[in-house]
Order: sequence, then C-alpha cells, then structure tokens
Amino acid sequence: MPTANTEEENSKSELQKNHGGGGGFTRWAVVAVIFRLALIYFPGNLNLSSRPEVSTPLTSIRRLAEGYWLKQSSMSPYAGSMYHGSPLLLSVLGPLTVKRIEGQPSHILCSLVFVLADLISSILIRATGRKLQIAYRKSLKSLNLLNKSTDSGALSSGDIAALVYLWNPFTIVACVGLSTSPVENLFTILTLYGAATGLAPLAAFGWVMATHLSLYPAILIIPVNLSYSGSWFYPPAPLSPEYTYAPPSKLFRSKEHGKVGDGKSSQEIIFSWRRVFHLLVWTSLWSVYVLVLCSISVKQHGSLQEMFQRTYGFILTVEDLSPNIGVLWYFFAEVFDFFRDFFLIVFHSNILFMILPLAIRLKHRPCFLAFVYIAISSMLKSYPSVGDSALYLGLLGLFLDELADMQFSFFLFCGYVGVSLLSPVMHNLWIWRGTGNANFYYATAMAYACFQIVLVVESVSSMLNHDRKLTKLSTSKLQK
Amino acid sequence: MAEVEKKEVAAATPPWKPKPRPIVRLGIVLISHSLLVSVVCCTAGVVALFLLPMLAKNTYISENALMPGSASSMLSNDDISEAERLAKDLTSLNSGAADAGIERRRVLAKYLSDLGVEVGYHKFEPHQNQFHPLHFFSSPDSGLSRENGSCSSYGINVVGIIRAPQADGKEAIVLVTPFNFRKNSSSEALSISIGYAVFSLLSRVTWLAKDIIWLVADSQYGEYASVASWLRDYHIPVFSASSSHNADSCFEGNNINLLREESLDRTEISSGFRRAGTMAAALVLKVTDVKGQLEDTLSVYAEASNGQMPNLDLINVVNYLAVHRQGLRVKVEKFLSVLRWEWIWVLGDTLNFIGKVAGSLNPEWKFGISTPDYVEGTATLANSLYRQALGIPTGPHGAFRDFQVDAITLEISPKVVYTNQGRRNEFILRSARLIEGVVRSVNNLLEKFHQSFFLYLLTSPAKFVSVGVYMIGFALLVAPLPLVAASLYVDANKPDPSSQGPKHKLQINFKPWKWLSAAKQVFTVHAWGVFVSLLPYFISQIPNSTPAAHSIIWFSLSTFGLLVLYLITKSHSKPQKGEWENLKSVTISVVFIGLLLMSVVNFATAQIGALVLVPACLLAQPLKLDIRDASLKSFLRIACNVFISFVAFPPVGFFVLKGVNEGFGDMDVGEFWTWLESLWAWNSATYIYIGMVHLPCWVLCLHILLHSC
Repeated sequence: MPTANTEEENSKSELQKNHGGGGGFTRWAVVAVIFRLALIYFPGNLNLSSRPEVSTPLTSIRRLAEGYWLKQSSMSPYAGSMYHGSPLLLSVLGPLTVKRIEGQPSHILCSLVFVLADLISSILIRATGRKLQIAYRKSLKSLNLLNKSTDSGALSSGDIAALVYLWNPFTIVACVGLSTSPVENLFTILTLYGAATGLAPLAAFGWVMATHLSLYPAILIIPVNLSYSGSWFYPPAPLSPEYTYAPPSKLFRSKEHGKVGDGKSSQEIIFSWRRVFHLLVWTSLWSVYVLVLCSISVKQHGSLQEMFQRTYGFILTVEDLSPNIGVLWYFFAEVFDFFRDFFLIVFHSNILFMILPLAIRLKHRPCFLAFVYIAISSMLKSYPSVGDSALYLGLLGLFLDELADMQFSFFLFCGYVGVSLLSPVMHNLWIWRGTGNANFYYATAMAYACFQIVLVVESVSSMLNHDRKLTKLSTSKLQK
Repeated sequence: MAEVEKKEVAAATPPWKPKPRPIVRLGIVLISHSLLVSVVCCTAGVVALFLLPMLAKNTYISENALMPGSASSMLSNDDISEAERLAKDLTSLNSGAADAGIERRRVLAKYLSDLGVEVGYHKFEPHQNQFHPLHFFSSPDSGLSRENGSCSSYGINVVGIIRAPQADGKEAIVLVTPFNFRKNSSSEALSISIGYAVFSLLSRVTWLAKDIIWLVADSQYGEYASVASWLRDYHIPVFSASSSHNADSCFEGNNINLLREESLDRTEISSGFRRAGTMAAALVLKVTDVKGQLEDTLSVYAEASNGQMPNLDLINVVNYLAVHRQGLRVKVEKFLSVLRWEWIWVLGDTLNFIGKVAGSLNPEWKFGISTPDYVEGTATLANSLYRQALGIPTGPHGAFRDFQVDAITLEISPKVVYTNQGRRNEFILRSARLIEGVVRSVNNLLEKFHQSFFLYLLTSPAKFVSVGVYMIGFALLVAPLPLVAASLYVDANKPDPSSQGPKHKLQINFKPWKWLSAAKQVFTVHAWGVFVSLLPYFISQIPNSTPAAHSIIWFSLSTFGLLVLYLITKSHSKPQKGEWENLKSVTISVVFIGLLLMSVVNFATAQIGALVLVPACLLAQPLKLDIRDASLKSFLRIACNVFISFVAFPPVGFFVLKGVNEGFGDMDVGEFWTWLESLWAWNSATYIYIGMVHLPCWVLCLHILLHSC
C-alpha cells in the first residue's frame, strides 16, 4: 500500500500524457505486466495476501487452497466454513495452488493466471471503449454537433480506461495479493464487452459466470438487456443513425419534427423484445451449463444445495464478521441477534431499491448504468475488497469525454489516496499495536464509503448535465 | 478534509442558486478568508502547544483491580541477606578468567534451583539491526528470518520461572535484570540482589495468580538485543527443523563448557525453552551510579519504538508506590537545555501572572501554574516529544511493546555508592518492596491493561497530557492546509471569461483535470523521495568508509537524481496561468495527508514536522511575484520564505537543533548520517517521514519559490 499514492498519481497522469495511439497503450500495458511480475518475484515480505483490504473470505487464495485440499482428501470443499467460492474456480485454480516450482515463490502459477486476467480485462475495456466512442461520435454527428474541436482523435477514452485499470494500484495490489477478484472482474468486463458489441452469447456467458462467481453482478442483467436489446449506443445492424443513441429520445423526436422531409425513417428507439428473448435464451442455456458443471464438480462430496448455501447464502447472511473495508461487518457485529434478519433485508434491499430509478433515468446510457450499478454494489456488498473498486475506477475512464466537467475530481483523488494509506495504518494500530480499537479502522471504512458515494453522485450528475448540454445545443441548432 | 469538501461545494455552487445551505455558506466564508483563518489557526496551534504543560492533568489510577499498596510488604531481611550472599558469590569470581561468565551463570542457576523454581538457559545470537527497505511495511513476524550469522558471538540468558501455585498458568509477569556475566560491576550486582530478593519472596507466597518470570538478560551485546531475542523465541516458536538445527549446531561447536555444565545439573536445569502464559506486564530493573544526587531516585523510561507508550496505569502504579510507600524520588527524563532558555522563564512568568489575574477575577478558574513548574513541565514535555518522535526505544522495555506487552524500565540510582552493609540492605529493601508492590498490583489484574491511556505525553512523573488535549493543538495547526489548498484550487481553476469558446459549440474542456499535471510533478518528486530514502541501504554496503564519506556520497547522488529528473521533466512551454497555484494546492494536500498519517503512526513526529512544514507550505509563493510587488509585506514574505526553506532542509535543521542544544562548537558532517542510521536501524517511522514526506515537500516548496511565473 505505501506505493499506492505514487501509482495512483502515475495512472492518473497517464490520462494526460498518453495521447499516443495503440503504440502507447501496448507499451504501457507491457510495462504494467512487467511491473506485476517484478512484484510477484519480490521477496514475499509484503504479505499482501493476508491483508483484509485485498483478500476477503470469498476471494482469498489461501481459502481456495484449503478448499482444494479438502476436496482432494475426499471431503466437501465447503466443510468447515473455509471456502466459499465457486467449485469451478476450485477445479481450475485448485491444482495450480499445489504446484510448486523449485526456487519460485509459492502460488506463482496462480499469480500468472491473475496477471493474464488483468491483461485480458484491460484489452476488453479498451475494445469496449472503442465501441462506445464510435457510438458517441455517431450520435454527435447525427445531431450535427461534431466539430473539429471535439474530434480529439489522439485522446481515446478506451485506451485511458484500460491503462487506468492496469495501473491502478488497487488492481495491482489485488493481482499481486493473490485474490481471485481479477478473475471476477474479467467476467464482469466480458459481460459489458459482449453487450457493447452485441454478441448475445458472449454477454450471457460473462453475466452467468460473473453472477456465479460473486452474485452481485446479477443486477447487471438490466444494463446488458438495455444495451443489447435497445441497441442504444451501437447498432448491430445498419439502422439509421437515429438509433445509435446518445441524448434522450425526446430530442430525437423534436428533431424528427424539425426535418420531416429528410427521408429518413421516423422510428422511435425501440426496445426490442425479440432481442431480450434472444438474450434470455442464451442466459438460461449458459446457466444450465454452468450448473451442470458445478453439480459434476461437487457431486462426490456434496450437493448443489450445499453449494448455494455456502456461496450465495454466505454472501447474503454476512456470516463472516472479520474486518474489511466495507461497512457491514461492524454493524452486524454490533447488532442484536433478533434484529439481524431485519437488517440483513434492509441492507441488501438498499442495492435493489436503487436499481429501478437509476435504470429509468439512465436507460439511454446502459454502459454508464452498469458502471453505477457496479460502484453501488461494490460499496454495499458484504465482503468488498480493493479489487471491486479497481473495476469501477477502470470503467470510469470509459466516460472521459462525458465526465470531463466533473467536479470534485481533485478532492476525490486526495480522498482515495488518503483513505487507502490510512486504512492499513489504522488496522495496524488496532490489530498489532493494540493502542487503537475497531472504531479507528471502521472510521476509515466509513470515510471510504463516503468518498464512493460522492464519486457516484458526482459522476451521475455530471453525466446528466452533459446530456442536458447536448439537448440544449441541438435544440438551439434546430431553431436556427 | 471536511473543509476541502465544503469549499469545493462552495466552488461548485452555481450562481443561480441564491441561498446555498448553511454549511456551504460557512465553507465559502472560510475559504474566502483563508488567509485570516490560517494565520489565526496556526497561531492558536503553536500557542496551544506551549499551553500543554498548563493543561496537564494529574495522573490517577484508572483500573480498580490494581489496588496498589493495599497489602503490606512481606519482604524480610532474610531474603535480602540471601540475595546479598548471591551477589557476593557473583562478584567474588575472578572476572579475568575465560569461563567466569559460565561460572556465574552456574552460580545463579544453582541459587535459583535451590529456590525450587524452574531454571533454563536461553542461547541467542545477537542480531545487528540492519536496514531493510521492506521491514517498515511488513508485519512483525516476517522480519524474523534467521540469518546464518557467524557462530562466534552468542549470549546466554538465565531464566527462572515461578509457577503460580493456584493458577492455570495462562498469564505471567516478567522481571528483567540486565547483567553482564563477563564483567564485574557493583551496580549490576546490586540489581541482581534486588531481583533475587523479590524472586525468592515470590517463590514462597501463596497469593500468586500469574506466573513470574525472571529474565537475567546477558547484556554483553546490549540490553535490548538479549531481551528482544528472548521475546522472539518466547512468542514465535520455531517449527521448521532446519533453522533450529542450524542454531544448535552453532552452539554445539562452540560451547562445550556449557554443555558439560548442563549435563552436571541435568536434574534441575531444563535444556528446552521454558514458557509461561501471556505476559501481563514487564518490569526492567536497573541500578546505576549517578554522582551528586541528594536522595535515592527512580527514573522511569517508557518510550518504545515509534513513540508507543505502555499503558499509563503501569507508570501510575510505580509512581504511586515509589512516592507514597518507599519514599523514592521519581524522575522522568527532561531536556536540561530548556531550563536555560530565558524566554521560557519569561513565558512561564506571563502565564503565571495571567493565571493569578484570572484567579482573582473568579476563584473558580484555577489554571495558574507556578513558573518553575511550567518550565520543568516544558522541559519534560520537550523530552517526551523528542523521544517519541525519534521512535527509538529508550531501553529494553521497548522490545516488549512489539508484542503488545506493557513494560517500563525502572532505573534506580542510590544516593551514594554504599559501603556500609546496613545502608545497602536498606536500599535493597526499599527497591525490592517497590518491585514486590508493583508485581502484587499487576497480579490482581483480571484483564490486560486497558483502562488508562496509551496515547499521552508526560510532563512530570505524576502529570500527563492525554491524546484528546494535545490533538487540539495539532488539529489547529494543520487545519489551514485543506482550506488553503481548496482556496488555491478554486483560484487557479476559475472560469476565465475571456477564453470562453462560442456557446453553441460542444466544447470538451479538461479544465477540471488541470491539477493532473501538478499531481504528476508532485508524484515525480515523491518518487525521488523514495529513491533517496532507499539509497542508504546501498551506500552502507560500501566497505571501509567513514560516516562523513557516506553522507557526501548520499548527498551528491540525491542531488544528481534530482537534476536528472528536472532535465527529463522540464517543460519548455510557457508557464500557464494558475500553474504554481495548482502545484501549491496539490503539495499542500499531500502534506496534509502525510501529516495526518504520521499523526496516527507517531504523533510526536507529526507535531514537530507540522511546526516546520505548515508555515513552509503556506508561505511558499514564487519569489518573482514578490520581487515584482516590492512592498514591505512581500519583502517580509521573502525573508520568511528564505529562512524557513533554509532551516527546513533536514541536515540544516538537524545541525541547527544540535547547535542550539549543545553549542555550535564541533560539527561533523558524518553526525547526520549516524543519526539517520540509528533511525533506520530501529525501523523508526520518522525516517520514512523525513524521506518520503518532509524532503519531497521541501523540494516542492523550493520549486514553487523559484517558479518562473
């Protein structure tokens, strides 16, 4: 963590510096991978994998290794409340945890898998960013708003987002600290990529896997559907430019009225139920497939029901109250047992309550909606880690053009740097020195949650402002 | 942070909203008057620091279970005469003989096993404290890799353990007496006498609820090293066969004598490592000869690594028993040079006068303090701050704090070197009764110390300033930082009416992200700070060179690195409007975060650092602007800036402080290196602070001063 400050600044400074096209991205991506490898080979003094910020009960590699060991000795991997992850992850990563290469740090193979996952994630983010930018340009063009000054060809938001993801100290720490969150993030990003490119099977696969691994991405089904079925920002078929979306549909309507004789079709943006159905079929197909694989995997020593209880049940009932950077552990450690169920419902429905209003307000920007969902769930989830923040901070870069006017950027940056440095110190004060107590550490967790809230609120409001500005500009043009 | 938010909220408030919320308006007011607010806050912060000796409270025993002094002492003259016999036996051995050390250990072990307690030897290799760049960040147990050092030097501690007759053996109290088995020293023999007297009494009593461990620490390689390695072995059992085998083979080759001796006493002396329960508290007992004292005194040393202190209750119990039961004079260390400063006395007089005036106005107001009390308190407080800020433990008790055991060192110095046996016995009796009383109090504890404070500064043995009080001064001192950062940020990013593009075009401006280039500069300088902090690790590997040579190499390499960085990142473009404001804003934010972090890690460092860095950062403004301005105010500012940036340079600051304390007579460039070496050898966070917060911020301030705007 001590280098967090510096790296974050570094990654942010990338925003400015890296105006070079693909070459710049490749170079910096390679450097990022080399940097990770260097950290992995570093003498294991950093002990990142035991940090509460990095590894949660769900993502810890030590628990995974334990689960694999249990499985190898013919027991249920879920016995003894050690492992709470997916059986598929166990089958893939488990054998890698026991393989040792002489003279190399332990878990080297797992580390390489995580580095690879990070790299693929960043490439997918970059591709998603390209798609989004093309759609954005098209929609600006269709509104006759595209002028030379906005056409800043050198500055690609996709590249920046990918580099922010790769160089974010949170990502690096999660990757080097051997938590499985890089893999979870990979599947979430895959979902978004699939939705953005209109590949239903890919989007469905990513969604099913992400949900299977960490449950919370389940809510992404709404933005995925909006993105895929509404074809809001990228037309899968050569439709008229009006489909491509950007600003609210009202604007288009007024525009249609303005130039009726244009000869273009005056269709509204249609939410295609056929495409929803298409996606759902793929989703159910993949779900069945994953469930069958899981049942094969757990058949010998357990059942699917046990799996659900020990994974989703564990997430929803917040059984493990060991400290983490979230806000739930402290609360449920303090709350009386007979209120526990009530508050469990309250806290979890917090996320659910926000789904619908946000979906209505941001339905024209499904990818941004997905970002907001991910940020909210990573704030309110039961076992958050820095890997979750890494994901939404990376996605934030995708909306660089729209969020250029965002307020509080400096304040948020300082806040993130300060909290991420203060949190380990408070933990040390509480656990090792014994001069602090749990309140010290929890205070940083609350500050962290506040910063996340400010980030979400500010990004949403500046996105809406941006849309308003577009509306204003295009209506003023129409009136001319 | 809150202020930043408020002020940014203020900045974000669009003009068409006539009445923002009250908190926003408060923020706007604070930011628009940031100059006034920062002057007031900084002054108040410094004043609050000087008021601390006045605000100190009397200590009180917070944990009821301790009940100090409620039982009468059971120590008798028999215990003392037995202890004196042991001391005589130890000192009578010929110190020149090669095996005198082993013989002494044997005598001691014989005496202990005659008491019927468990006796064991603990062999250790003294570790040289070595700088390792990662040790600062790792958890305690990862730094314990045993190196394959040479087998030539090792020490042997003697450990005696009394098992509490009616307890379950899960808790223990530790007594430590450092003793050099190779040398004859009357004061060390005296401390052994005291320890043995208490120990022999405790081996007979029935009220023990915790096991008692007496560690006679072999101090030939330093008191700290022996205690630390015993504690490590106590808490971290070695399971891997290879490392223990390595250590053992070492001893087998070199210490045949000891093995032979062990085979003789096999019946009583265990060869394995003996443990008792978790430690409730530890007392380190030392006797020193200090000339020219008026009475027997007891000095209490409490500072452990990184300014950690033991629970205040432990000091309270010792202080209470020593003063009220045994009539010893209790002292804590103080800066004697402070007593010579005239202005402190004047300040004390003034405060005394104010207190008197206030008292005459309203008898309820009793905050007066007599001048000598104030000066003494300031001297003690200054020492307390300095010791904590250094982050170097002041004695073997520091090793205990790393395992969360509360411990203090009691250094007892007799009035004269006793030649009369009767007087000597009386001295031993008083000291031993003090230890007995403390042990008995700690023995009463149901839980480990938790009632009283861990974060405090002492202003006298019976007065303390708690965290809630001293934090106010610090908070006042650093409060202007976010405020000024916010106001600078707003000034630098004000929308420029002239450069506004045509309204009807979609303009994507990255103006709100302009701070990123400043952040890049700040990051680069901090990366340089990391580089500078790591350099000594490599420089210290150079064989056969003096500290002075080391410092010169270090200095030149650092400067070279800075020059290279400057040449790489130098921009040839014309400086933009608001560039230095942004840079200053980011610098101040970083200083704020750094000071905040440091105040949690080690408050004293943060306080001393804030006294230097806060004015340096707040005053920094390009000299060009000031010179162009050419008013009295700007000349004053130039003078302040030049002075502060001169003093804030760490080596200069070090030598100035040293000169003020000890006179500017002989200065050696190597001293600074030696001082820093001691910091990193003890893994003091102060070293990290100087290298990664103070130095980069000093460079940034300099950069702002020389900015070509």
